[in-house]
Amino acid sequence: MIELEGIHHHILAIPHLSLEEGKTAVIGANGSGKTTLLELCAGMNLPHRGCILIDGAGPRSCEVGWVCEFPDRNLLFERVVDEIASPLRFNFVEESIIGERVALISEQLAISHLLGSRTHDLSGGEKALVSLATASIMNPHVLVIDEADSHLDAGAAARMYDLVDRVGAPYMLYCTQDMQRAAAADRVLFLKEGGVEAYGPPDSVFSALRDTCFYPPLWRLDQCG
Amino acid sequence: MRVTLSGIRFSRGDWQLRADAGFSRGTHFIAGAVGSGKSTLALIMAGLITPDEGCVQRDGIDATMLSLQFPEAHVTGATLEDEVRSWGVDPAQVLAETGLAEKAGTPPLRLSRGELKRLELACVLARESDLLILDEPLGSLDCVQKRRLCERLRDRTTGITIIFSHEQHILPAVDAIWEMRDGVLVNHGSVPQALKAWGDSAPPHIRWAIARGILPANMRMKDVREAACRTCD
Repeated sequence: MIELEGIHHHILAIPHLSLEEGKTAVIGANGSGKTTLLELCAGMNLPHRGCILIDGAGPRSCEVGWVCEFPDRNLLFERVVDEIASPLRFNFVEESIIGERVALISEQLAISHLLGSRTHDLSGGEKALVSLATASIMNPHVLVIDEADSHLDAGAAARMYDLVDRVGAPYMLYCTQDMQRAAAADRVLFLKEGGVEAYGPPDSVFSALRDTCFYPPLWRLDQCG
Repeated sequence: MRVTLSGIRFSRGDWQLRADAGFSRGTHFIAGAVGSGKSTLALIMAGLITPDEGCVQRDGIDATMLSLQFPEAHVTGATLEDEVRSWGVDPAQVLAETGLAEKAGTPPLRLSRGELKRLELACVLARESDLLILDEPLGSLDCVQKRRLCERLRDRTTGITIIFSHEQHILPAVDAIWEMRDGVLVNHGSVPQALKAWGDSAPPHIRWAIARGILPANMRMKDVREAACRTCD
């Protein structure tokens, strides 16, 4: 469980929330606190007030992988292989192990052919996959994807989300404005003005949103016949 | 009023953009995958990139406005109020319209990306323009703001509007559909026939309708539902 207790941080005000293992999609209007919440769960910021525990440990004691909204702005190294290896090198892992781990994650995410490429020569979709590999190589306990699909076309975004399951992180949190993608999560967290409006399986959260534009658009078509 | 792209060629390394097209009064939607050349073409049409070959002819166009894909690239003001004023439009009106009046004194980069996009788009739209070029205007906006923008664009009845977007669900009503395919600008024609010509790269609800032999009046979800429900009856 990711337990949030008495959280007050910028716009966020969450008295209590327990997020279960699996994929959680965080949805809500612009400025509702989605990224702020993800940053707290990732330990990138500490809450002004309140406490977050991930299976009993603080976020900064957990391995967290983060794929940011603009994967290309986070690339540090010139070669893809060095980019993906960087979290291991920053942790002083032995080079022989690094080689194995880079080969394994690249195979899992079907990007082995990119290892010798220059990061700047990659397409937007490829950069997103390289960021996902870099975020995943330390076997994160929590994998966070912060609206990376906003700037990807449908094909590239679908490829990335299809591959995410192969990372096998116990917790995956992603925020998105694509309600069809949110509906594919195990659970949906709907934020409104910094508070939790609803949390639960997609069916139950979205059934309360039927009259809003947050209802997954293709669900309406299925009901049309 | 017309924008003509004659023999446009622009290269970056091995990649090349090619465009030959004419845009008349109305709303044109240019779809395409990331990296297909949409933003480059937007900058060429706005006159901010000079193509290697060919020319952009703007007949009867005095004012051109461009909304960039990433809203932070527009920011010049230290506060929201300064920012709106820098566009030469009334801060009180724009801040009220965008629901950001309470944040008038906030630095623009403190907003969430969606809020900043909403602000910059409101400034762009507050200015009169003959040629309005919008690069990914729907990206980062939540569904409420996407819908609002689509309606707002429908109210624009004069001039040429060109929307570059890879949005799949919440779309505006348009007059013509184009697509950037691997750097080449392809004309799918006028709506509704263009919806058929769009083929496999069309948004899922359009493909859903076409696969059932339904031709919606336009590309909005609402058009597809109306056409589908008519067929059911």
